[in-house]
Amino acid sequence: MMNLTKQIREQAKKLLEEKKVDLVIGFGQGTELARTTPVFIDSPEGVSALTWGPFCANNLAKYLIDYKNAPGNVAVVVKGCDSRSVIRLLDDNQISRDKIVVIGVPCAGQLEWQKVADEIKPDAALKETVDNGDSFVVKTSTGDHTFNKKDYMLHRCLVCENPNPVIADFTIGEELPVKNYAERFAEVEELEQLGLEEKSAYWDKQFSRCLRCYACRNVCSVCTCALCVFDQMKPMWVSKRTNLSENTVFHITRAFHVAGRCVDCGECDRVCPMDIPIRKLNQKIHKDLKDLFDSPTPGSKQGLLSALGEFSLGDPEEFM
Amino acid sequence: MLLKRLLEYVGFEPGRLTARWISASEGAKFASTMDEVTEKIKSLGPNTKMRDEIL
Amino acid sequence: MKAKIVNKGQLSGLLDKLAKDYDLVAPVKEETITLFKKISSAQDAFLDYTNSDVSPKGCFLPQSEKIFSYTYTGDSLEIVKPESAKKTVLFGARPCDIKAITTLDPVFEGEKFGDEFYSSKRENTVIIGLSCSKVLSTCFCYAFGGGPCDGTGSDLLFTEIGDKYYVEINTDKGQALVDANSQFFSSENTDQLAKDKEELAKKLAGEFVKKVDLTGVKELLDSDFELAYWDEDPYKKCIGCGTCTYVCPTCHCFDIFDFTTGDITGDRIRCWDSCMYPEYTLMAGGHNPRPTRKERIRNRFMHKLKYHLDRYNMVGCVGCGRCIRKCPVNIDITKIINDLKEVAQNA
Repeated sequence: MMNLTKQIREQAKKLLEEKKVDLVIGFGQGTELARTTPVFIDSPEGVSALTWGPFCANNLAKYLIDYKNAPGNVAVVVKGCDSRSVIRLLDDNQISRDKIVVIGVPCAGQLEWQKVADEIKPDAALKETVDNGDSFVVKTSTGDHTFNKKDYMLHRCLVCENPNPVIADFTIGEELPVKNYAERFAEVEELEQLGLEEKSAYWDKQFSRCLRCYACRNVCSVCTCALCVFDQMKPMWVSKRTNLSENTVFHITRAFHVAGRCVDCGECDRVCPMDIPIRKLNQKIHKDLKDLFDSPTPGSKQGLLSALGEFSLGDPEEFM
Repeated sequence: MLLKRLLEYVGFEPGRLTARWISASEGAKFASTMDEVTEKIKSLGPNTKMRDEIL
Repeated sequence: MKAKIVNKGQLSGLLDKLAKDYDLVAPVKEETITLFKKISSAQDAFLDYTNSDVSPKGCFLPQSEKIFSYTYTGDSLEIVKPESAKKTVLFGARPCDIKAITTLDPVFEGEKFGDEFYSSKRENTVIIGLSCSKVLSTCFCYAFGGGPCDGTGSDLLFTEIGDKYYVEINTDKGQALVDANSQFFSSENTDQLAKDKEELAKKLAGEFVKKVDLTGVKELLDSDFELAYWDEDPYKKCIGCGTCTYVCPTCHCFDIFDFTTGDITGDRIRCWDSCMYPEYTLMAGGHNPRPTRKERIRNRFMHKLKYHLDRYNMVGCVGCGRCIRKCPVNIDITKIINDLKEVAQNA
């Protein structure tokens, strides 16, 4: 991992020195051992702030939208899932290809930082992380800790479709094989098996915890509306109350608004302060898109037309 | 279609939501669809989801 | 100050009785989340937690609250106010959260304007605090004058020591509750337990990981609103999600709107709002004094570190650390404080 960090820094430095970009958006060490934070580097000397490892869960592609009208070019460090967002934003004409430089890093998975932090002394300093295939070794000033991927990785990483970025101007490190992708919809299928009452009870329980903080919406890289329907006052389509009814409307509406464009990066699920399994909603739509229209995950290839944006006469239908 | 499936996934009874493509000149189709849907949802009974009391 | 003892084995009896006589709000665990909810029996309470994911400020300032219902016929307007608050016991709140409630008091119970919705809940609630037994890596209550065993603002403070709870009675309200439930409180000698509590407080004080130094920070913020610091890092990574404000125990911004389903009746609702949202300061006419995330981030930290102090002579942050844990991009108020301190020193 240290080697990859060095390569990312070198690549960023080169881009800044050669003035190919004015800004590099990447991961930097966070304020906890097991966390990183997005960093915005605008000078070659600043690249030492960049880092890489199994704590880089953020999807940095979201920030490209902020810089789309900025005068210069922007480089962004992306993992496989994030790179799908980049393609999706390009296809939606939200950003232009000649303004961005994509630094792709094949990713072996990201760990859930709270689970890792629980097992390491709070004042330890991070020295290095090593990918051991089935586990990550986190080396700290107070000792080495091994975390097996199955138990400590983010759920979305366990069924990763694109460990290697699907778009990149520069690729750092070696390509990785796809694993366990066949079980991608296992959680959705589990829920689908339940009876109607149980499904209803399950989701009622989840939605009643929702605070309507809108973290899921704000972190979403394809939620790009200038004025979100949930922020409109006149008319107030959905009020701001947090009763079960409004919360359910919010979640179903949001899942449907991004349907066909959601790249399944899983950020919405990660950022929810109340641990609501939001991704299970978006995944259900992905599963249906696959079953009904044989549609690949949005963003997995450039130029894929949006599943809900076009039709062919042979499409299944139930409404004529 | 996606919305129907999503709603069922969240616990709405199948048949609560019906979508139909009807041209403005297909008056008879409109009428018969309305009858069908009315009967269907009457048989399902009052909807219990997404309608709790205002606070 | 008086003190009593509750044996651990008797706690569930006490909680069951409180649940009968009052609305008892206590920490509960729902899957991976700990939050404060009304419980009907002691077994629903979950006390083996460091701190809840959402603070108990919802007991006094709920996420959504009906202010009144109205019926408007064009000729007449009828307003129905909700019933006044029921007698409630808030059990198990940590010292930082209780301190936070005391910082909300001057906002809602000011000299000139009182908020009856907040006040009636506040008057009718007995706050029973629970001292911390562990310190998280994100905790820093000491920086703002608090502590893991600090009873300020609580009516009663329980501290777990061995197989007993050492109970300090801090107000008349607390005393009244003890008197009404005396069968659970023993009057054994509490001197040793008092000493044990001091030891515990000292031990926990040594466990804080975050080193926070506020020296010079307030003066710096007083001196320059347009600090160059705000042009750099903090705002760029912020995604404006509002999570920090919602989990924060001292944040109190709210929005009010009328809700109607179209006929002559409706409700006026108050609900949480967040200064991190762009529409928060959007005015009729379209002007927004905080148009970008830079202004909004600056506002948030100025409020916590300066404005609340200026207005009410009380700190705006209690060091609970929830914002640090929940922020999706790891914006850390302790880092910002330490950065500002450095800026102040170098100035």
